[in-house]
Amino acid sequence: MTLLRAQVSAARPRRRASFARIERPLIGVLAVAAFLAAWQIVGSREIIRSDLISYPSEIVATFIEMSRSGELGANVTVTLIEFVEGFIPACLFGVAAGLALALSRRLRYLVAPLFAALYSAPMIAFVPVIVVWFGVGRESKITMVFLAAVIPIIINTAAGVNEVSEAWIRAVRAFGAGRRQIIAKAILPGAFPAVMAGIRLGIGRSIVSLVAAEMYVSIFGIGRLIQVYSNSGKAAPIFVLVGIISTFGLVCVNALRTLEARLAPWRGGR
Amino acid sequence: MSDAAATEGAGKSARRRTTDRRERLLLGALGIILLFGAWQLAADWGLLNPTIGSSPTLIARAFVAQWQSGDLLADLRVSMGEFAAGFLLALVVGVALGIAMGMSRILEYAVDPFIWFLYSSPLIALYPVIVVWLGFGTTTVIAVSFLLTVVSVVVNTLAGVRSVEPMLVRAVRAFGGGRRAIITKVILPASVPLIAAGARIGLGRALLGVVLGEMFSSNAGLGFRISYYAGRLRTADVFVALLLLIAIGLATDKVFKHIEARLQRWRPR
Amino acid sequence: MSHLVVDGLRLLYEQGAGGEDFLALDDVNFAIGDGEFVTIVGPSGCGKSTLLMLIAALLRPSAGSIRLNGRAVATPGWDRALVFQDFALLPWRTVLKNVELGLELKGVAPSARQEIARRHLQMVGLRAFERHFPHQLSGGMRQRVGIARALSVEPEILLMDEPFGALDAQIRQVMGSELLRIWERDRKTILFVTHDIDEAIYLADRVIVMSASPGRVVREIRIALERPRRLEIRNRPDFTAYRQEIWDLLEEQVRSSGSWEEADDAASRAG
Repeated sequence: MTLLRAQVSAARPRRRASFARIERPLIGVLAVAAFLAAWQIVGSREIIRSDLISYPSEIVATFIEMSRSGELGANVTVTLIEFVEGFIPACLFGVAAGLALALSRRLRYLVAPLFAALYSAPMIAFVPVIVVWFGVGRESKITMVFLAAVIPIIINTAAGVNEVSEAWIRAVRAFGAGRRQIIAKAILPGAFPAVMAGIRLGIGRSIVSLVAAEMYVSIFGIGRLIQVYSNSGKAAPIFVLVGIISTFGLVCVNALRTLEARLAPWRGGR
Repeated sequence: MSDAAATEGAGKSARRRTTDRRERLLLGALGIILLFGAWQLAADWGLLNPTIGSSPTLIARAFVAQWQSGDLLADLRVSMGEFAAGFLLALVVGVALGIAMGMSRILEYAVDPFIWFLYSSPLIALYPVIVVWLGFGTTTVIAVSFLLTVVSVVVNTLAGVRSVEPMLVRAVRAFGGGRRAIITKVILPASVPLIAAGARIGLGRALLGVVLGEMFSSNAGLGFRISYYAGRLRTADVFVALLLLIAIGLATDKVFKHIEARLQRWRPR
Repeated sequence: MSHLVVDGLRLLYEQGAGGEDFLALDDVNFAIGDGEFVTIVGPSGCGKSTLLMLIAALLRPSAGSIRLNGRAVATPGWDRALVFQDFALLPWRTVLKNVELGLELKGVAPSARQEIARRHLQMVGLRAFERHFPHQLSGGMRQRVGIARALSVEPEILLMDEPFGALDAQIRQVMGSELLRIWERDRKTILFVTHDIDEAIYLADRVIVMSASPGRVVREIRIALERPRRLEIRNRPDFTAYRQEIWDLLEEQVRSSGSWEEADDAASRAG
């Protein structure tokens, strides 16, 4: 509860407690509903040209149409597969590499400039080069996903391993654990939240890179659809695609959060 | 036992730290040299097709050629201009909105779902919508850059405002300070660390937005050049632009870290 | 010249449907004359800090009035300067700038501020630290900055809310005598809240003892000890007598509030 409001309300009699709890979701829902309603009215009545901004009911109709024709299904599947094929290896390789880096200070210093450059560089800028190297097909897209995801995963894993509390390592060692066991029982669990953070970052970056790569050159995929419909002059299909990409991102992030809660319940709520 | 854990412990002596720093610089430089060296060798020994893989020497030559023709400077100016515009706009709007949300419960609850949506979804999704509205050109680039950055700034500013200790607000009130005094003397200064962090994250996103916009809906700037040269298989030229973008990303990040550090001098270690 | 009169003060926190109303203060009455050092002592939760907040106008009473020099107290301001238990220094400002905060809010011209702030820092003995940041200072030093800040606006009355509560026992005593030294200079009117009986007696011309919640004034005790007060005064029999008197009063208060809880418990079990 914010300060200024707290100070002000302290000078007045207290609000009814029961109302306060539903206030937040209620106002949120009202705001979104108002927004959608306004959108619907402005679009369907052509107060602003509907091919520029569309409106909710048209978007839903377009979505249904695109799904039924199979266009959506085919392209989304292609993109999804490209994502998985790039992301899973990125996770595996990234965690392993992060671990290796964390264990050797010298190695870390050696590759630090390269990683710093890759991390702060706009990944999209690599797309044309990757396409030149790997061709216009699936390989370049998968490579982009891998590249975009692996960097934050490595960096966060390395940082996470480094920050694992000395106390835990000492505790495990005190019971006679060897190197491999220390890694398994103290370091990996301890670094887990950081690894998850890296993976979460990786998802966002790789989706962006993937879609950008598909927009750049592709025969199939969501990115390609975006390019096609960008030139069609109608906004409705674009919004459908926007919704799909956003939903995918949201689903991934939430799935990850649930996974994290399941695997590491000792962390407590975020 | 990992030597990482051993050496990174608190309580390093000062001498340890300077040798550490020296090691970091030397090995870092070595890493870069190894990378470019191996690259050059691969090109020289025919392991790499120079047209596709390019090489450090080819890139250097292309750089000089672009610089002398004036093309490079022109592209640089366009990109940096769009970058600055998008970023600064996002900073101003983002901080204002963040503070407003922090001080008004209704505003916060109403805007929150939208911010959450923009924050969790990959913002490239919005790019096509912007193009439909604003067409092609610099305005779109700046708009994309703005959108990608503003969310990060708002979220962090809001967190900053929330982190302000109510006790400090009370102190200012006790001396007769009104709303304006509270904002300028407590909320803004107290939120600065988190705002700075949000801005730094925003930097990367703003640059991304610029490249994205230029690659797909512009005909000037470094991002555009990358796709332009790539289409003509002039890989060396592509790398010039690419490396330049990386350098800009690194430099602005470094500068900002510096600014952040200075702004936080008052914090306890 | 200041003259604070608190008359029939009452504060009721309303909870609305379902919740219970909470009566924090009930019919508080007292007056403070110009230049007096008055301390308020009472059991935890009796509302003594709340009382201070009301005088500072950070809270509004449900009933009763507070008048300073005949005028009703309405909004917070420099004329009633507060010193807080947790110091409330702005961590991003230097010590000097923190003292200047009060002057800024009072509207003093920028050119004059620095000099006034410096003077008051000198008074509390921290002039050498004017460019330090709060986190570099100890608790006692931070509170001295808080005191300098409050004094620099030359208030009508200084309100101190358990200012030494966050400090450890020895420092607390030293700070007490420091405060008296500073006070002796121009004898500001001070209203000082504390839970520490010895501190209350040591510092004050008059001690106001409050009841347990809901708070009201149980007794006012004139402290007839001579000034300046040395720290050793705490061991004297007349000091001890005051201590005993207040302690007995408080014990009674604490006990009665405890049994009130038990009765409440029994009632809820039965009903």
